[in-house]
Amino acid sequence: MELVRKLEILADAAKYDASCASSGAHRKRRNGGIGNAEGMGICHSYTPDGRCISLLKLLLTNVCIWDCAYCVNRKSSSVQRARFKPEEVVKLTMDFYKRNYIEGLFLSSGIIQNADYTMEQLITVAKKLRESESFGGYIHLKAAPGASPELLLEAGKYADRLSANIEMPVQKDLDRLAPEKTLVEIESTMSDIKSGIDAAKNSTKRNGDAPLFARAGQSTQMVVGATESSDTIILHKAESLYRKFDLRRVYYSAFTPIENTNPLLSEPPTPLMREHRLYEADWLIRQYGFTASEITHGARGENLDLEKDPKLSWALRHRGYFPIDVNKASARQLLRVPGLGAKNVARILKIRHYHQIKLEDLAKLRVRLSNAKWFVITADYNPSVYQLDAEKLEEKLKPKVFQPSLFENLSNAALSGEL
Amino acid sequence: MIQVSIENNFASWRVAARKCLQKEIAPDEILWICDGCDGFFENDFAAEKTDEKIYKVSPDFLPLAEALVCFNDACRFSLLYRLLFRLVHENKNLLHIESDDDVRRARLMERAIYRDVHKFHAFVRFRSVNIDDKEIFVAWHEPHHFTVERSAPFFIRRFGAMRFSILTPKGCAHWNLEELRFSEAVTNQVLPPDEAEDFWLVYYQSIFNPFRLKIKAMKKELPVRHWRTLPEAALIPELIRKAKELESKKRF
Repeated sequence: MELVRKLEILADAAKYDASCASSGAHRKRRNGGIGNAEGMGICHSYTPDGRCISLLKLLLTNVCIWDCAYCVNRKSSSVQRARFKPEEVVKLTMDFYKRNYIEGLFLSSGIIQNADYTMEQLITVAKKLRESESFGGYIHLKAAPGASPELLLEAGKYADRLSANIEMPVQKDLDRLAPEKTLVEIESTMSDIKSGIDAAKNSTKRNGDAPLFARAGQSTQMVVGATESSDTIILHKAESLYRKFDLRRVYYSAFTPIENTNPLLSEPPTPLMREHRLYEADWLIRQYGFTASEITHGARGENLDLEKDPKLSWALRHRGYFPIDVNKASARQLLRVPGLGAKNVARILKIRHYHQIKLEDLAKLRVRLSNAKWFVITADYNPSVYQLDAEKLEEKLKPKVFQPSLFENLSNAALSGEL
Repeated sequence: MIQVSIENNFASWRVAARKCLQKEIAPDEILWICDGCDGFFENDFAAEKTDEKIYKVSPDFLPLAEALVCFNDACRFSLLYRLLFRLVHENKNLLHIESDDDVRRARLMERAIYRDVHKFHAFVRFRSVNIDDKEIFVAWHEPHHFTVERSAPFFIRRFGAMRFSILTPKGCAHWNLEELRFSEAVTNQVLPPDEAEDFWLVYYQSIFNPFRLKIKAMKKELPVRHWRTLPEAALIPELIRKAKELESKKRF
């Protein structure tokens, strides 16, 4: 098969992994080598699905011995199969990198023979890139669940990020759709990766100059909407993964029925808005000091509200927490105000040293006042705040035209190369 | 009203601004003229001895000023001087008050520069060209602001083992493995083809998921004005058309 055809098949097969992050790695270019990593990832292009292209995202092969119902590459799927030789992936990566198309490589694979064999193949590519090509760019390797700890340790030497996909929030979902996988095994792979990262960190502290290990940490992905598991279950699972394994990110992938969909999957396509709300909730957990219970408790039903973002929903359920006085409140309190993002909270804390903050100041900071004004006290008269307890407030806050609200971190996310 | 002529760089503005400040010339008394130094005032300045009164301003001001002089609008010099003047005469903490009109405007302009540099790093597309048996990576890029000098060091840190030239309508940068050289702006260049680009186009089409069309989100990060220098952007209309076709099939 021609290389260009392989590229077509194996890029197409790789696009269901949502992550394209290339941030968090720091590596100087080796003398005579090509490539470095400067912490902040770069999105080199965007496709019309709004997703960033930061990495050359490929499967080494889409041949797979497993039969996960939601996956386009499952054993029983009729999709055309292909397999790269390691040196072909190396060449594509270097060619693309030198032309400034990408920050590096994200290599995954169907499971060939077994987890260890698959992992060895991925390591071969990463090792060639680092050692034969002196490649200093970003490498993300997929960790095959159940791969031996020794192989994961080796992978982490070459890779900036490792990720084992959790796929489903509960075992019962896996039993039904991915019978070869168990949460126990996937989480034990995550735990091995975490040990590698921790060990490298500790020895860096001792020797200063220890070998690096997956400096950009580990991430994972969950398919959303292929089973009945609710957002409440999904977010609690994500929260526990963050706690247990120090994950950098959990990615959520809205289930879309694909050609030759497995009959086990009768679910309709998941609205992309559901995925979007999960990312917002996830952001609140990681950056804004919310817990999964706060976000989901009392929500109508077990899923997040599709019409309102999770912070606004929380605020409407907890009106007793408000109003917040922007001239007195702590950062933690301010972060809970709908329409106030982390950057503006930092600005407010500075400005109020020098003068009392009025509504006008908030407007100039481009705070989304249509959301925020109901919940804050400012130095001047803010009439909206008197309607905080009005029953009609919820009505007023309903978007007139139903459209995805651009989340405040989106431009940030673009800068950092995160999804 | 006096005219102050300066060259289009930070050092030149700084010298002139310092002198104006020493003479306590109010911001709205100055007309800043950039590009071509036909103003009479600068020569007067050069000859004149002023008392070396040292002004200390917030350390945050310098990086802000360095970014702002790259901004592609003549107002940048007067805005900078006004900020400087107010920092000295009105409030030394002015830069912390981001709801102040001048500060806010300056910060927005600073952000635009960061973004322009970021997009410079992201959207340069090299083609491998053979000149005198040497492989040189050449790119044509169109930054919105004067960001060539600010953006170039990144490419050396990353591609220092490759010869490269980045050509833009705002100036060019050249790396010959030893030194970085800047040259005059050029007009649109047509580069010889590069086979690797064909693979890149195939990759771009294949990694796109037609079931998740989000054109607005794409355009926000890939502004249309950059499309003409990105080889993959030529594919976008066709990819969108096909995705919409797919969508309408799904509905029936």
